[in-house]
Amino acid sequence: MSLIARRHFFRDCGYGIGKAALASLLAGSMAPAADRTPKPDPFAPKKPHFPGKAKAVIHLFMAGAPSQLDLFDYKPELVKLEGKPLPAEIIKGQRYAFIRPDAGVLGPRFKFARHGQSGAELAEVLPHLARVVDDIAILKAVHTDQFNHAPGQIFFNTGFGQPGRPSMGSWITYGLGCETRNLPAFVVMSTGSGISGGSACWSSGFLPTVYTGVRFRNQGDPILNVSSPDGIDAQMQKDSLDLIAELNAVRLGVVGDPEIATRTAAYEMAGRLQTAAPELTDLTKEPRQVLELYGVQPEKPSFARACLLARRMVERGVRFISIYHEGWDAHSDVSGNLKSNCGATDQGAAALITDLKRLGLLDSTLVIWGGEFGRTPMVESNPVLGRSLGRDHHPQAFTIWMAGGGIKPGITFGKTDELGFHPTEDAVHVHDVQATILHCLGLDHEKLTFRHAGRDFRLTDVFGKVIKPILA
Amino acid sequence: MRWVVVAGLVAWTSVATAADVDFNRDVRPILSARCFKCHGPDAAARKAKLRLDTAEGAAAGGSSGEPAVVPGKPEESELLRRIFTDTETEVMPPPAVKTPLTAREKAILKDWVTAGARYEPHWAFVPLKRPAVPVLPNPSGPLYTPIDNFIQARLDREGLKPSPPADRPTLIRRVYLDLIGIPPTPEEVDAFVRDPAPDAYEKVVDRLLASPHYGERWARKWLDLARYADTNGYEKDRPRSIWPYRDWVIKALNDDVPFDQFTIEQLAGDLLPQATLAQRVATGFHRNTMLNEEGGIDPLEFRYYAVVDRVNVTATTWLGLTFGCAQCHTHKFDPITQTEYYRLFAFFNNADEPELPVPTPQQQQLGDQLTAQIRQLEAKLPTQLGTLRTLGAFARWVAQNRRRAVPWTVLRPKTLEGGLTRLSVQGDGSIVASGDTTKRDLYTLTFENLPESITAIRLEALPDDRLPAGGPGRTYYEGPKGDFFLSEFTLTAAGQPVKLARASSTAAGQAIDGNPLTGWTANNQFGTRSVAVFFPARPLTARTAQLELLFERYYASSLGRFRLAVTTQPGEIKPTELPHEVESVLTRDPAEWTAAEWGTVFRHWLSVAEELKAAREPIEALRKQRPVPPTTLVLQERPPENPRPTFRHHRGEFLEPRERVEPGVPAVLPPLPPGEMPNRLTLARWLVSRENPLTARVTVNRHWQAFFGRGLVRTLDDFGYQGEAPTHPDLLDWLAVEFQEPTVPASQAGSGLPWSVKRLHKLIVLSATYRQVAHVSPELLAKDPENKLLARGPRVRLEAEQIRDSALKAAGLLSAKMYGPSVFPPQPASVTTEGTYGGLNWKVSDGEDRYRRGLYTFAKRTAPYAMASTFDAPSGEACVVRREVTNTALQALTMLNDAVFLDVAQALARRVMAYPGKTPDRLTWLFRLCLVRSPTAEELARLTKFYEDQRVRFAIDPVRADAVAGRGPDTPERAAWTLTARALLNLDEFVTKE
Repeated sequence: MSLIARRHFFRDCGYGIGKAALASLLAGSMAPAADRTPKPDPFAPKKPHFPGKAKAVIHLFMAGAPSQLDLFDYKPELVKLEGKPLPAEIIKGQRYAFIRPDAGVLGPRFKFARHGQSGAELAEVLPHLARVVDDIAILKAVHTDQFNHAPGQIFFNTGFGQPGRPSMGSWITYGLGCETRNLPAFVVMSTGSGISGGSACWSSGFLPTVYTGVRFRNQGDPILNVSSPDGIDAQMQKDSLDLIAELNAVRLGVVGDPEIATRTAAYEMAGRLQTAAPELTDLTKEPRQVLELYGVQPEKPSFARACLLARRMVERGVRFISIYHEGWDAHSDVSGNLKSNCGATDQGAAALITDLKRLGLLDSTLVIWGGEFGRTPMVESNPVLGRSLGRDHHPQAFTIWMAGGGIKPGITFGKTDELGFHPTEDAVHVHDVQATILHCLGLDHEKLTFRHAGRDFRLTDVFGKVIKPILA
Repeated sequence: MRWVVVAGLVAWTSVATAADVDFNRDVRPILSARCFKCHGPDAAARKAKLRLDTAEGAAAGGSSGEPAVVPGKPEESELLRRIFTDTETEVMPPPAVKTPLTAREKAILKDWVTAGARYEPHWAFVPLKRPAVPVLPNPSGPLYTPIDNFIQARLDREGLKPSPPADRPTLIRRVYLDLIGIPPTPEEVDAFVRDPAPDAYEKVVDRLLASPHYGERWARKWLDLARYADTNGYEKDRPRSIWPYRDWVIKALNDDVPFDQFTIEQLAGDLLPQATLAQRVATGFHRNTMLNEEGGIDPLEFRYYAVVDRVNVTATTWLGLTFGCAQCHTHKFDPITQTEYYRLFAFFNNADEPELPVPTPQQQQLGDQLTAQIRQLEAKLPTQLGTLRTLGAFARWVAQNRRRAVPWTVLRPKTLEGGLTRLSVQGDGSIVASGDTTKRDLYTLTFENLPESITAIRLEALPDDRLPAGGPGRTYYEGPKGDFFLSEFTLTAAGQPVKLARASSTAAGQAIDGNPLTGWTANNQFGTRSVAVFFPARPLTARTAQLELLFERYYASSLGRFRLAVTTQPGEIKPTELPHEVESVLTRDPAEWTAAEWGTVFRHWLSVAEELKAAREPIEALRKQRPVPPTTLVLQERPPENPRPTFRHHRGEFLEPRERVEPGVPAVLPPLPPGEMPNRLTLARWLVSRENPLTARVTVNRHWQAFFGRGLVRTLDDFGYQGEAPTHPDLLDWLAVEFQEPTVPASQAGSGLPWSVKRLHKLIVLSATYRQVAHVSPELLAKDPENKLLARGPRVRLEAEQIRDSALKAAGLLSAKMYGPSVFPPQPASVTTEGTYGGLNWKVSDGEDRYRRGLYTFAKRTAPYAMASTFDAPSGEACVVRREVTNTALQALTMLNDAVFLDVAQALARRVMAYPGKTPDRLTWLFRLCLVRSPTAEELARLTKFYEDQRVRFAIDPVRADAVAGRGPDTPERAAWTLTARALLNLDEFVTKE
């Protein structure tokens, strides 16, 4: 092909159509096209181990650990015992972050009522969740190994308390690939005061780094550098990308390394991202009722806006979306803390369920709500630190809820003792929750492995059982 | 022979002769992957009492009593029967484990048994012997170093030929990027291309090895292993100061400190005789572990994780072993028991973790000067007022203060007990705490022969240089360094609690209020003395007493140095601020004072006298000028009288310590030299001893990977049974021996000593293998897509820092400044603030610090520098042996749109505009700045067209041109050059070494 003919070929083919394939053609003089194609796409959709109900996951991570005793797990006994220490045999050998184990009991801070057909008990500060309570499964006897925030958050996300292992979103996109190549497979948003576990919570660990979660930001570009620099218009960007593709193709013809074609493919995707990201975040075309359902002001960052964006991502084929809302760490004034955080999140989370259901997406989207651990039945109060009527970290039992893709709706699973201290029935460990999440996606947590440092690692380490009774 | 290899690539066909099945290459990988988990070294996990990792185990068989393997008799071997059977309940591996053997694997095992079922020692554990260099009578390419003989011998066997040498521009770019991490300038390229000398290339290599940038490039690779970062990690992720360690690495590499010495200083510099400051700084290698400062954590738990990390990183870095697997149970594949894991742990568990001030030579000099000046001024103080006035004022002061002074008797405890904390009494009666400290420390002291009728008890909290921030407390995380928190001060006399009526201050009173939540603290006075006095409700008559000091807070905050004293003085006691040694003199009759005591009192008077206030001002001013030296984190072996015991931890859990273990090395490796103290120094020397089969192999392999993108052993971090066998075993061993015992005379590079890394590098880059062109033909791509055989040169994407540094270098922006605290190049503020608990205000550095080399960029663990992590740089949260090499859309967006790269493109445009010549000349120069080589006619034509198109478009849109080019003259043209430069920076070639 002559130079001019090649140029025509590019122009006539328009932007973004199989530039990599063209690159291979251009290299044709040197080698058969098959040898020069880009490396296999690490996000090409892969078959699950067995058919799974869920195609996508939205993880609403309530970082800081919400108080289960004031939101979900109502314990009248705590009212009776308020101010008195717990029996010695219960608190013996327990480690706490701030309080002494013999601190007095603190009764629930809110009124509780039963809701929906399922009759699930919820505190008055969750009025929106009360309306969708028949669509969710509440797990009241979850426990974890960690009692500090960073390790706890990293543990919930990666199955291990120290940084360095792949996160759930990384495992899942590694296992299943992604349905879109216009947006990242694994997106991370944050709407609160700051994530204790940091980027280790969405790290790919020892999996290939492409599986790291991609931050969607509230300030500036939603994805870092997704907009062209000032002054560079769409035509210039297109000209530039075309030139880059052409020169890469020329070089591919000389050098013959298929990695060059892979690079060109990455630039094509970058071009598509530049279009898809603004389209995704433009909420102006959402109907007014939808914005009202979530309580979203289109330009104002909020948890509800992140929920709406998550729904739009699911529609566009994103596989795993984490939304971190931080600030539940109520060492003092647990009541005020919950009012404020529920005020910020209740409507958005409930709207997400309603909206996914309305669009027929709930059956194929798994939604998880919860923190890294629970909070103590005992009060935290410390005049030196200016704390009163708070609660400390409690790894022994806490509540999360799950909904949609593969989860039985309208159930409550697991019980704790009358003090809300230990599970008494259907206790589930965080590894069990992780195994269940993978199961909903059609992944066997014992088979989804990666060879690293001499052995096959998995999300659930050497633990975890799928929680069968909560499966739909 | 050859047909077997070829056949092996396609499918294993049964072969009849014993020589063709290689246990290490063919058999052990199958047994390891499919069998050892249940029939391997871990006795606890072993099924049916059968072990297949030893010949004895295989011959003995399991609980069935049948020998698993009968050499030469496949039909009698239970192992074969069980893998070939169709019976579901019998077949191995059991169907439930989901790892069935392939037909080929079964055939190999059968052939192995038929051929005699020989077990051979694992190749990596075999002692190192120097293999003969292959002799090639008819070489198919140049043989510059013995490396080429090994590589070509293998290529000959495979029927391949080496590629021709790369042209000079390509070669010089490659070797610059490899050795110093940045590309050459067009002038440097021209000089090399024009140099007719036969050793033109070697001269370039020698120059690069001597360049100070060499250390910067190779330090970065070592820092990946060291998990270096500038913050503590976890939730708070606060900044730490450990950059002096980073600078130590750069200097050591530039000085070509032999790798054995480099190892010893980093693992055990503190234990070397007369350890220098630099050797102590080197121990920062293992202080790069994270520090959890989250409120409420158990500090000992996170210390345990840090030691686990030290063990695993040591094993990975030096031994290439996956030791971490044995933390929770005996290794499933390799011969490492769980007890052996904790024996290695014990070496690292016996260290304290102080902060070390590291004055620069300039600071040291300035400090000495100031001290001399202060001494001079102080010497003049006694004569400032004239003799008469001085004596008068001093006498008045003594008289006044004798009335105030309280006669305190320092108490020396009969017993001291501090749990994990060791308490020891110093000469001055003060008590120093060392060892571990936790969220709740209780010191119990007993006293005998107390003076009668004690009316007050004084507790002095004293400073000490060995304590964090100089003390007096031991707080080292979460709270202010050097703080303490005395929750309760409880006195029992003659078995009865002593009621303490009041304390000298409200703050001190919180230590006797019965409420453990409140307490007496350092009140933000660090490195200085604080005093609390407690008054019994009635004078104390008992002669024996027990004192409990309870320190309880949500972070460790016990006292590091303190002293107790009592007085029997009746009446109201007002504690003074007088130092103890002055006050005790003042309480006695001056007629009895010795000359030394007069001196003590007089010197103190000089430092406080009102009359001398003005004269002391210049002294105070000089004191304030004293430079504050930077600090770094180091290891310090515990004193012999207070070792920290190590236990085996059941299932690896912190809370489950079991039997005590002593330091030692795994039995599969050579023993420690007899008679040596089993400490870190002995361990470090053992790691780099000639007998150790692993360290040299692992090290040369890692360096090989750095140049060729692939190790001779692909699994850089696993030389155990599950690792991959070397592609060129003899070359690996030859390099490992040559590294330790140099013979090839080729080199003047570096120290020329054994273990010289520069020499190893020179050996590699001088090889013909390294100098080959990287082009790949379709045939070669099909036959050897990973370039295992090295019939072509390396072609590898650059690392994050190389990409950034290359761009800055091309633009003429790169700063040559070396060393010092880490810097903050431009990036959006949200990267380190949004959604980050331990947010960091990323205040962009000024001046040339914006353009320093990437390894000086501030490394925040929970929110790393965005460009670097996009290009696969590690976060410093874990040891990284080999960076991932990815090729992603986010990388494209960074190169296209990141402000730093636009800055570079604009600077390149300015450079081009200043270059004389017409557009094609300028384009060629720009191309060479970015890519080193010259453009082809086709490339030039495309670039010219692009440049012209953009220039026309900018000419009619000056606002846009201003935005793209930045303000200045000739904006439309400059904007077009900016876009052209930007396109060149985005080519695959720019981010690739080839």
